[in-house]
Amino acid sequence: MNETVVSYLSQAPGYALLVEKLSEFFGFDAEGFVTFLIFALVCFVVVNVMSAIGGLGTYAERKISADLQMRQGPNRVGPFGILQFLADGVKMLGKEDILPAQADRFLFLIAPLMCMVGVFASLAVVPFSSGLTLTNLNIGVFYLIGVSSLVGVGIFLGGYAANSKWSMLGGMRGASQIISYEVPVTLSILAIVLMTGSLSFNVITDAQGGLPHQWYIFHNPFTFIAFFVLFIGALAETNRAPFDLPEAESELVSGYHTEFSGMRFAFFALAEYVEVFVVCGVVAALFLGGYKVPFDLGNGELIAKTFPAIHPMLAKQIGNVLQLKAFILKTLALYYVVIWIRWTLPRLRVDSLMVLCWKYLTPIALFNLVGCAVWLWAFEGKSMWAMIFKSGVAAAGGHH
Amino acid sequence: MFLKIMFILAATMTLGGAFLTAYTKNLMHACVYLLVSLFGVAGLYATLGADFLAATQLVVYAGGVVILMLFAIMLTGGIQNFVNKFGLDKVPSMGNGKTYTIAGLSMIITAFIIMKVLAPIFKTNVQGELPAFASTVEEIGVLLVTDHVLAFEISSILLLGALVGAAVISRPRRGK
Amino acid sequence: MISLTSYLIISFCLFIAGMTVMIARKNIIAMLLGIELILNAAAINFVAYTRFVNQNLDGHVMSLFIIVIAAAEAAVGLAIVIRFFQIKETIHIDDATELQS
Repeated sequence: MNETVVSYLSQAPGYALLVEKLSEFFGFDAEGFVTFLIFALVCFVVVNVMSAIGGLGTYAERKISADLQMRQGPNRVGPFGILQFLADGVKMLGKEDILPAQADRFLFLIAPLMCMVGVFASLAVVPFSSGLTLTNLNIGVFYLIGVSSLVGVGIFLGGYAANSKWSMLGGMRGASQIISYEVPVTLSILAIVLMTGSLSFNVITDAQGGLPHQWYIFHNPFTFIAFFVLFIGALAETNRAPFDLPEAESELVSGYHTEFSGMRFAFFALAEYVEVFVVCGVVAALFLGGYKVPFDLGNGELIAKTFPAIHPMLAKQIGNVLQLKAFILKTLALYYVVIWIRWTLPRLRVDSLMVLCWKYLTPIALFNLVGCAVWLWAFEGKSMWAMIFKSGVAAAGGHH
Repeated sequence: MFLKIMFILAATMTLGGAFLTAYTKNLMHACVYLLVSLFGVAGLYATLGADFLAATQLVVYAGGVVILMLFAIMLTGGIQNFVNKFGLDKVPSMGNGKTYTIAGLSMIITAFIIMKVLAPIFKTNVQGELPAFASTVEEIGVLLVTDHVLAFEISSILLLGALVGAAVISRPRRGK
Repeated sequence: MISLTSYLIISFCLFIAGMTVMIARKNIIAMLLGIELILNAAAINFVAYTRFVNQNLDGHVMSLFIIVIAAAEAAVGLAIVIRFFQIKETIHIDDATELQS
């Protein structure tokens, strides 16, 4: 049985009581029903919060780009224009849903949904905190890679179905880019899996510490490079600038979603922004310590020890809130970097994109993988700070 | 209960996708239905407790094979001539009534043969308590480098050969 | 109840569908789709027998190899299809009548 949000909440004192009451009420064992109810509730909350974050992503993008270009950005709707995304959403809902006459009807209808399904299914394993992980699959990393590849199919079909030349070119570019960059991304994720010996996000995060020198990014030189390979590859996989060739405005009107209007277009946009969030979260979990809080405040033991008056479960909840904050903070910092890069760097050409992937990133990622294996074998998995500290102590001892 | 619902869902996806793959006249749609069917197979693996295999199925098929197929369809679509080099009418590329009739008849024969083979299994279908689901990742990893290490190495050579071979074959020939 | 038989029937139907696709279609890519279905039918059988008959994981490893081989087959097969299209400008199976191009 995998660890889930239900198994975390079942430690709470109210849980057993609830199950008992409901069992009396219905006349059968309500354990499964309560499990289903909690899952449904948490999934509902996570999906809605993620949609809001995706919407706020568009706002953040416009605001940050305005900031970088010394403009004001959206500032009419709500305080600082923060409700702009809601206004945009209402506008999108009100628009006519155009179906081009030449389009492949069936594929045109399911292509945006495929993107959405791929992104939102990958939320199931994102480790928001040690308690609030929807499910801690023991193959979490692998599952995420597999499910998020649906996005590539969705983009490709969206480009094909519209039956327009811009869309076609955008879809072809998108699919080729996504399947090419999957190679370096997977290889650099494998380096971390090698260090930890597990495919579960929670195990990987728990193997790191709260402070920067305990993170995997500073574990050894190879993981330091792997972080940048993964980040560049993630930018390309989510079609963000400077790799936004599938939707390059100056060449292909707007790429694979040229012909989509109304909510279908909004689905594509939402899928893209949520995918950026998911990818940033994954990078944070793999390399930046994920939900880890400094000095192990996250598991609640220290809080419970300092304030013996409060219930241990409450201490755990406080720890979980801290963990959630740490995770969101790291993810949003990366999100900011993604938007920053988008408004700073010019777009690549198609051939230089492929050259970057196959001639630079893939060999570097392979080299990193071998390097990590050698490091594990040679230094028994110790981080370089531990070794520097040890040699420093030895040198200081030698002077006496 | 939950397992049953999952099984029925996955089986419906698998069989429905497979049936529509055989039924539809549009190659692009056939590819999408194949993707549905393969996702259903991943679901069946999950109901059988093969978590690693289910994820592998998603990664390899959804991410690799289906996109590759779609690419090949895009690169080879377009030109359609309906007569062969002798000037005779060709069978349409997605089949017509005649080919489906032939396929149906041969399938009935094959089905009878397979049913004959499977019948003793259906009759002697006794099973005790099934073991609980456990993580298979570690065990598969150990098996791959102990019992099946030769097959593992051979498959890696096969993949290298496929990689080089595909690159060599599909490369445009010089001077042409 | 979910038993070995139900999985065998599913795999049987998948195999039949794949064979039908292979016989009825004249497009090489459509035939490759049929091959994928057939290979998946075989893989389901391996995993089902692992679950219900003997509990060691050899069947899983075999299915893993089937997936690997299916991927390699798809890559090489599609490369051949694209090459064939470059030479003949068609991917109809009845046009593939010569050994030499």
